[in-house]
Amino acid sequence: MRVHLVTMPWHPLDLPSLQLGLLNRIVRGARPGDEVTEFHGSLRWAEFLLEHSGGRLRPGDYVAVGSDAIFHGLGDWVFSGVLYDDPAWGVARLRDYAAGRGVFIDTALAMRPYAASFVEACATEVLAAGPDVVGFTTTFMQNVPSLALARELKRRRPELTVVLGGSNCDGPMGHALHRNHPFVDHVVRGEAEYAFPALLRHLDAGTAPTDVPGLCWWDGTVSRANTETRRTVAPADIPAPDYDQWQTALDASPVQEYIHPKLVVEGARGCWWGEKHHCTFCGLNGTAMAFRAKPGERLWAEIDRLVRRHRLLDVVTVDNIIDMAYFRDFLPRVVDSGWDLRLHYEVKSNLTPAQLRLLGDSGTVHIQPGIESLGSRVLDLMDKGVTAVRNVRTLRECENHALTCSWNLLYGFPGETAEDYAPVIDQLPALVHLQPPSGAHRIQLERFSPHFTDPGLGFGKRRPAEMYQHVYELPEEELADLVYLFDSEPAGIGGPVEQRLKEAVAAWRAGHAHSRLLFEEDGAELLVHDRRHGRPPVTHRFTGWHAAALRHLEDGRTVPALHRLLAAGGHRVPTGDLDAWIGRAGELGLVFRDGAAYVSLPTWGEPVRLPEEAG
Amino acid sequence: MSGPPGTVPHRLTGRRVEPAEPLDLSGAGRGTAEAVRFLRECQALGLRVSWRATGTPSYDPALLRHLPPPAELGSWRTESAAWRAAHRHGSLYHRRGPDFVTVLDRRRPGTAARLTLDHPSLHGTFLRLLEPTPVDALDAVGREALGLLAAERLVLSAGGWAVTLPPRVRRWPVPCTAI
Repeated sequence: MRVHLVTMPWHPLDLPSLQLGLLNRIVRGARPGDEVTEFHGSLRWAEFLLEHSGGRLRPGDYVAVGSDAIFHGLGDWVFSGVLYDDPAWGVARLRDYAAGRGVFIDTALAMRPYAASFVEACATEVLAAGPDVVGFTTTFMQNVPSLALARELKRRRPELTVVLGGSNCDGPMGHALHRNHPFVDHVVRGEAEYAFPALLRHLDAGTAPTDVPGLCWWDGTVSRANTETRRTVAPADIPAPDYDQWQTALDASPVQEYIHPKLVVEGARGCWWGEKHHCTFCGLNGTAMAFRAKPGERLWAEIDRLVRRHRLLDVVTVDNIIDMAYFRDFLPRVVDSGWDLRLHYEVKSNLTPAQLRLLGDSGTVHIQPGIESLGSRVLDLMDKGVTAVRNVRTLRECENHALTCSWNLLYGFPGETAEDYAPVIDQLPALVHLQPPSGAHRIQLERFSPHFTDPGLGFGKRRPAEMYQHVYELPEEELADLVYLFDSEPAGIGGPVEQRLKEAVAAWRAGHAHSRLLFEEDGAELLVHDRRHGRPPVTHRFTGWHAAALRHLEDGRTVPALHRLLAAGGHRVPTGDLDAWIGRAGELGLVFRDGAAYVSLPTWGEPVRLPEEAG
Repeated sequence: MSGPPGTVPHRLTGRRVEPAEPLDLSGAGRGTAEAVRFLRECQALGLRVSWRATGTPSYDPALLRHLPPPAELGSWRTESAAWRAAHRHGSLYHRRGPDFVTVLDRRRPGTAARLTLDHPSLHGTFLRLLEPTPVDALDAVGREALGLLAAERLVLSAGGWAVTLPPRVRRWPVPCTAI
């Protein structure tokens, strides 16, 4: 059997498709007689735009539409006109949507005229490989481009078998994709390691795939959806990805001049925190929350092989959360390699300074710690399992170890109040020397999140997000099963406090580049050099218990705990004096307060800071 | 914080470093190669260097503009102004892999060339010349590699001495994707 695996726009141009890399290995492992080929439609689209627009539409534009506009559906919209055989389909709807929200759509509009001829070219190229089965992987905005090509393939070769899989097919979304698109023969819902080879066996034998868990298939004109399994794929059954065909496609592509390719690896699936406390807003793990990790030794062996094979030193991990065992059995191996790797990892925010140091030493210099908020009550509301003091400590340690920290400040949680935010907003100017969030964003209602599954948590009214009106020509009840994002009545803060929060975050971002707050030890004195935006430059000098207190507060403590520590260190400090001093330290912006706890803000390290550029 | 390796005497205070003497950039021999190594290592460690240049370069001084610029003084005033204007952190650097080195070269505005040095002679010579080395000490294969590396402006070869130009990334900037 010839199996052709396809990833369509808007897969990131600088990354190989982990999904294709895995499926390739899975099929070859389970069915050695099959021929497995790949079509990297994402690269092809970027090439097509470059060539046919005369160099006007570049890979940077691809990123603007395909990655940055996820919450507006622009990437899907570019291909909706092809799916619905009408180049004008959804144009007016998109214009109305964009005008109402101030969304920039010129790039998407400029791309759409190329979409139909691109899909035709893709169909020709895919069919030239003579496939029996074409398998699409779809995540984020890959649905409409994939459906458009699937439809064209079936129009030209009705006997071809078209299969869809990927995150967009999880749960009810997969069944809705199937029943609304008769040219899609099968949809694999959930993990594909066991299901896809099982489907191929049925196709070979000509039998109905009634026993493949989660699979959607056609029973005449009726779309059947097999019950999904609760069984997750064991790490030992998750192969190492094979990126050879991606490398070949990239080597032949003019797009490579515009990008910095990186490797993608997978250490773990699921979320060990979410198994115990599911963060109320997060739907990223879909139906498979169970945490499963490859042993660190094996993850390192996979990276070792890929680095040697592809000569690339940038590695992106897709894990939703790092396995804490990796601090013992993976990261030390990275350090010991002596290679200058640069890794990206999602971590939990309550790491210790020693763990953050190890991340830096290993080259895991790009982290996403899920900070989300700097107010403990809001963090409690979202069941994040971390305090604001710990979050601020993490931000501070990122400066000490030159870690790039990607994070968002989220708001809009049911039950939060203006009083939760006022003390945080008041203190944000003191944090200006720490890495700012990408912005202050109102949370969206995501399928699979507790907010979605339990309307009692505060989002009782919901409907498919408005953007899908310019993506799909489907009735609302079908969209309600097919899509991932929903609109709901706003919860939590709004009005003036929301505005103040956004302005304070904007000021943080504007003032960060030239702001420093640095400790320096000078004999018995502890100096703090304050060069933060919005304050006169000053150097504070601390000695005795004042210096000891500021150091103790690096870990974050309450005043009574600090008092005990000072006493244990031989400092007899009257409680009133300590209260007064800590109040003064707060006024100077040297400590951050969250409820009864304080954490000191000066850093020991000072990373080289540069303006953002495409990496 | 430890200071940069090499033979250039200097004073280190926090993240600031100052050579004891002006650095000879004439290209007349070992002194220039050692000065380049010193500046390259300061750049790699993210140290701030205050230094003065002496000598009239026998080579294209633009080769050094990825390194910290000298003070705008004396005969170097014009060149150091051009150097300062052209200098961008991370415009040229290298990274080590298992049996290869990658070089990122953004010295020409608007370009970002990625080179992978995995041929044993190029790889070996690139690493060897991190230490200033007399050209005479290289064998025929090494000299051929030196020629290729110099043509790519990755090595300074002047006055009978050669030294590798791109610093190794030892400390990523924030954001780490900016270089």
